[in-house]
Amino acid sequence: MQEFKLPDLGEGMHEAEIVQWLVKPGDTIKLDQTMVKVETDKAVVEIPSPVAGRVAEIRFQDGQVAKVGDVLVVFETSAKGDGSTPSQDSTAIPATTQPAGKPSPSPTAQTATTKQRVLAAPAVRKLAFELGIDLEQVTPSNPNGRVTIEDVRAFDERVKAASISPVSPAPAAEHGEVEQIAPQAAPSIALRAEQPVTPAQDERQPLTGLRKRIAEHMERSWRTIPHATAFDEVDGGALAALREALKPVAEKRDVRLTYIPLFIKLLIPLLKEFPIFNASLDEERREIIYKRSYHIGVATASPEGLLVPVLRNADRLTLLEIASNLERLVEGAKKRTLPLPELSGSTFTLNNVGSFGGSSGTPIINHPEVAILAVGRLQDKAVVQQGIVIVRPMMPLALSFDHRLIDGAMAGAFLARFKELVENPQQLMLDMV
Amino acid sequence: MVVGDVTTAVDVLILGAGPGGYVAAIRAAQLGRHVTLVDQGPPGGACLHQGCIPLKALLSATERYQQTRQEERAAMGIHAETVSFDWAAMQAWKQSVVDRLVEGVRRLVAGNRIEYVHGTGWFINTQEVRVEGEYGSHRFKFDQCIIATGSSAAPLADLPYDGKQVLTPEQALMMPELPATLSIVGDDYIALELATLFARLGVEIKLFSPGEQLLAGVDPAALRLVQAGLCKLGVQMVTKAAIDSITERPVVISQGVCPNTSGLHLDTMGIEVAANGGIMVNTMQQSSVPGIYAIGDCTGGRALASLSTKQAKVAAEALSGQRVQFAPLVTPLVVHTTPELATVGYSAEEATRAGYNIVTGRFPLTANGRALTLGTDNGIALLIANADDGALLGATLVGPRAGDLIGQATLAIEMGATLTDLSEILYAHPGLSETLLEAAENALGRAIHVLAKA
Repeated sequence: MQEFKLPDLGEGMHEAEIVQWLVKPGDTIKLDQTMVKVETDKAVVEIPSPVAGRVAEIRFQDGQVAKVGDVLVVFETSAKGDGSTPSQDSTAIPATTQPAGKPSPSPTAQTATTKQRVLAAPAVRKLAFELGIDLEQVTPSNPNGRVTIEDVRAFDERVKAASISPVSPAPAAEHGEVEQIAPQAAPSIALRAEQPVTPAQDERQPLTGLRKRIAEHMERSWRTIPHATAFDEVDGGALAALREALKPVAEKRDVRLTYIPLFIKLLIPLLKEFPIFNASLDEERREIIYKRSYHIGVATASPEGLLVPVLRNADRLTLLEIASNLERLVEGAKKRTLPLPELSGSTFTLNNVGSFGGSSGTPIINHPEVAILAVGRLQDKAVVQQGIVIVRPMMPLALSFDHRLIDGAMAGAFLARFKELVENPQQLMLDMV
Repeated sequence: MVVGDVTTAVDVLILGAGPGGYVAAIRAAQLGRHVTLVDQGPPGGACLHQGCIPLKALLSATERYQQTRQEERAAMGIHAETVSFDWAAMQAWKQSVVDRLVEGVRRLVAGNRIEYVHGTGWFINTQEVRVEGEYGSHRFKFDQCIIATGSSAAPLADLPYDGKQVLTPEQALMMPELPATLSIVGDDYIALELATLFARLGVEIKLFSPGEQLLAGVDPAALRLVQAGLCKLGVQMVTKAAIDSITERPVVISQGVCPNTSGLHLDTMGIEVAANGGIMVNTMQQSSVPGIYAIGDCTGGRALASLSTKQAKVAAEALSGQRVQFAPLVTPLVVHTTPELATVGYSAEEATRAGYNIVTGRFPLTANGRALTLGTDNGIALLIANADDGALLGATLVGPRAGDLIGQATLAIEMGATLTDLSEILYAHPGLSETLLEAAENALGRAIHVLAKA
């Protein structure tokens, strides 16, 4: 017997959802044969079999969430002593397979009906009561099943956001309603709470997979980074002309040239000029890390949600290489086939709002980066030049930056320089190797 | 003093200045409320004046006396040829302890600018209380009120307390002279502590318990140690005793308490009261009448100062607009016998009945270095945990300082700590708290200082 545990999929992945088993118990399996598809927070990963043998037992079914280290599958192998180590903690079938917080009644005491407690410290219980939250409804974020202050607050936010009234009625004021009478064996005073209007039944869906990851990532960014956004508008005429000129040449070499590779090419000298925009803040040590590599994240819409594939070492690529690499990355992101390294580690993120059909917006910084540039749709607009109203293809820019490290003046200078480059792309020639 | 029926408008009125009332008054004052505190005596209530504090003071005095007479002392090389005690002096020392504490509370009350009114109060309606005091009668119109009037020894129909032959536990503590023999009726911690106290002074004690078991709900193994301790003191124990059949005098009766609510005229305002006279409240300590709260013994719950003081804070905070409730999971209980007994949370039997799949751990004091250096190895630590997640559900401790050690177990249960949590932290060595560690590891099947899981 050999057990296969969910391996560490890298990048701080602690759990994965089983998407689909490609084998079933009893099947014989070859070494490296793909046996299961799992979805991590970032990608769908196919896991090959580590052995040749027979599938004895599958411990996690499709749709369940397994943690790193959980035994997914047990094989029967003919080879003995092949280094397989039966897991000592086979009893530790994870509690994550069922919603935590509701310990099931112990099998030895089926008749007992006493509700078992939710593990939560007194201060957590106090907060829950204050907020009118039933702790049983709060899913603990901790693997040990303890409900924390953060869990209660997060639950409260969700309840408020969903504007669903919490389980208990609104905080009892001084003349509050008598909810429950304490003394043992004492008859209870009837509830005098007014009849609430029954709202239409809302649909609730658990936050899972990519959506959950996006939510956590956004929360983290929004919570930790003081965002500020600088806006500007740039004349895209010269850039459009450049693209029109290069496009047929690129096509001959089987590459579709969009605006994004051009923006990336223009961003590189800018990031070198303003290194603080290609940095991150080590929050624990309170140090600024200036990145010496230029990995550009490109916000991409996939059917399940936002993904940011990363164009690595963009400063060492030609425009054509950027374009062809990008095509592959965006395609992979949409199909969710990209491996993890291609979905993480960016140093600056570019969001082409225009490609989603938007004109502009305030982007949220891709934590732990310090800035994100959103480029809007190119549109003909009336602009005033030398006292005359003329029509120019204008493009809105929105630069969100971490105000802890970057001030408005710096952001303004960055945008102004970017504008200059977009309006005079030939300047690139100056630094070309 | 104003003569005639003048009504004084007050903000928060608190009836009773015991460990519930004075604490509620201070917390409400901390929250910016103007508090009027009403009690016929000085602050402190029964706990400070007649109950817990005098009892514990006399228990420790008698414990010291008794220890000088034990043969264990001789084994330690201590010889005390002439040890004697003076009951009157002991009483005086007890009173000095009480006085110091009362003075402390009085200063706290004054320092928090709480208006202290001497007298007995009752309700005229849902907004007014009349207080009859030494200097006449006053009418107070309050915005909010907390009832904290406590409890008194439950009266017996055929056996009125006379303070001489038939005594309440409080009266027993104030006896001017020690009797040669004393009968005690009861099976609660008060009966056991009284028996211990007087037996240590050489009074011949007969302990009559109405049922078969003393201290209902306590783990049998722990109870055996306590009973053995009483036997060693020469306490004679009679079970299944009917009160009418007890002819011995003097007799002390500890048959629980009765909420002090009958004189409050609660019926005039339609406040809901349970059959035992306790004022019914919800977990925010609110009674059925808006603006009126009740805390402590007068709500008919267990008569414990620890409950009163917590409920006091809840009530003061709730009436100041905070959304808080009384919700501790467990109540620590201490019995100052020799050996001392302390319990918190579920016993094994209760946990099983509540539907838990349990695992238990035990550790005898005979294997604890600190207990041996104290010369008292009589005791045990028992832990009950949920077998499914290891979370601690209950603890029973017997031995020296059990009542202080139980605090650690209480915190562990409230925090949802597991046996693993208990076994991962450090314990001062040599120390009595190590028994908790060993019991936890015993439950996990890996105690160092016992050979096999008992």
